[in-house]
Amino acid sequence: MSDRTENLLLAAPGLFLLALAFFLPIGQMLALSVEGPEGPTLAHFSRFLGDGFYLGVLWRTVRLSLIITVICALIGFPLAYIMARVGPRARLWLIILVILPLMTSVVVRTFGWVVLLSRNGLIPELLRDMGLAGRTFALMQTETAIVIGMVHVLLPFMALSILGVISRIDTRLEEAGRTMGCSFLQTIRTIVLPLSLPGVVAGSLLVFTLSASSFVTPNLLGGPRLQVLAASIYKSVTQTLDWPFAAAQAVILFAGILLVLIPYVRLTARDNG
Amino acid sequence: MASFLVPSWVRLAARIFIVVTVIFLLAPLVVVVGVSFSESQFIAFPPDGLSLRWYQTVLSDTVYTSAFWTSIRIALLVTVSATLLGGAAAIALHRRMLPGSAFLATFFLSPLVLPTIIYAIGMLMFWSAVFGPVSFVTLWIGHTVIAIPYVVRTTLAVLSESDPFLEEAARTMGAGRIQRLLYVVIPQGLPGLGAGAFFAFNISFDEAVLSLFLRKPGLTTLPVQIYGQLEFSPDPSVAAVSTIMIALTVVLILVIDRMLGLQRFAST
Repeated sequence: MSDRTENLLLAAPGLFLLALAFFLPIGQMLALSVEGPEGPTLAHFSRFLGDGFYLGVLWRTVRLSLIITVICALIGFPLAYIMARVGPRARLWLIILVILPLMTSVVVRTFGWVVLLSRNGLIPELLRDMGLAGRTFALMQTETAIVIGMVHVLLPFMALSILGVISRIDTRLEEAGRTMGCSFLQTIRTIVLPLSLPGVVAGSLLVFTLSASSFVTPNLLGGPRLQVLAASIYKSVTQTLDWPFAAAQAVILFAGILLVLIPYVRLTARDNG
Repeated sequence: MASFLVPSWVRLAARIFIVVTVIFLLAPLVVVVGVSFSESQFIAFPPDGLSLRWYQTVLSDTVYTSAFWTSIRIALLVTVSATLLGGAAAIALHRRMLPGSAFLATFFLSPLVLPTIIYAIGMLMFWSAVFGPVSFVTLWIGHTVIAIPYVVRTTLAVLSESDPFLEEAARTMGAGRIQRLLYVVIPQGLPGLGAGAFFAFNISFDEAVLSLFLRKPGLTTLPVQIYGQLEFSPDPSVAAVSTIMIALTVVLILVIDRMLGLQRFAST
């Protein structure tokens, strides 16, 4: 047996599983999206793109995902920078605090937000007591609730992708900037930010993708009225049982995500290689 | 940056920022744990009174216990299958002797970048078209597929830091293929394989999207059960189940930290 055969044998079971149980099903879904009673059709796509309701769903998905991505980047960058620059003990604690929510089931985390944001929950009550909100103020079943819940779910992804890049920046560059007269904020803006841009971009692409394709948190916090694309797919699969239409929606989501994913894969490939 | 170069107002701002962010990150988890110890019938935080009655309810409710065992069974099977398949693939990828190694690496990591919902709907349609109704096995395979990339990644990370000449040395001293794998390569990659195994367990145990798409009566995992309760009428028993899941996550994180070191995991 040659070395090559040995390695092929090692990789083969995984290769077969992914080919048969991952790539084939996705191909099947692509095929189903153009399936009609009389041969291939684009009817499912035109139904989606010609209906104001579904276009609204699509627009909400894109808009909310953009907002969520921007907020995650705004919180994630300083968080990652601080994580990279504190002492090793504090860093370990911060990493644990970021990973704990990341590894907790999305359903459980969303449940926490349901409790916090509900009518008699801590946050609306607090806002009412401070006089910042009226008596009828509600957060559940609003887009704000979706954004809060999703930022919580996705912030760890953003922080960890930026941390990976920032921790490789030579701190002497910042010291040089400071000793040569830059203010602290100038150092961040002209040295740290440009150097950590690959991490910010990779994190943003990842967060956007995950945000556009999630439905558990939007469904539970936004309710059935505020549908996003993934929730609409889930509904077509489980409630209206219109699988070809569900497949067409999934293809639309897939196409949108590929536009974002291709630069992401390029970026991270360069990173690892 | 040397500490005297950081102005004091920045330190203060950073402290406040970290405190607020940590509160934001932990709040929903703390709230869930708090509610689970409540005495009242209603979900309220801070909880009214203290009791373990909801844990009693959960432990004696077959809906929850059967979902729990379903989740555990799938997660354990996924741990074994994903670690075997992913670990073997990682060893092959690490040696870089296969044609198209870079392409193969992307191939093995692709379930990681493709959103689970797209895979879930594909798997449901494929399985229904080819094999008929979904079953326990469908979910096992599905979870294995999404867990494999994690095992590949952690194992590759550990192997890439190991001494490549050790295997050569074993070969020149007459060790056969199986011996080299068993006594050199697998021990070298063990921390990565171990961490990958725990990740695989965690992913399967927490996964909701595939499980929701592939659900049917009798095939309900714990996250699906919680999701269903949240859609209808949650009571503090949901919080008790969720707290058990959080506790399990904490244990897993501690174990992974021991095996691989979280610092290293965080930067890969």
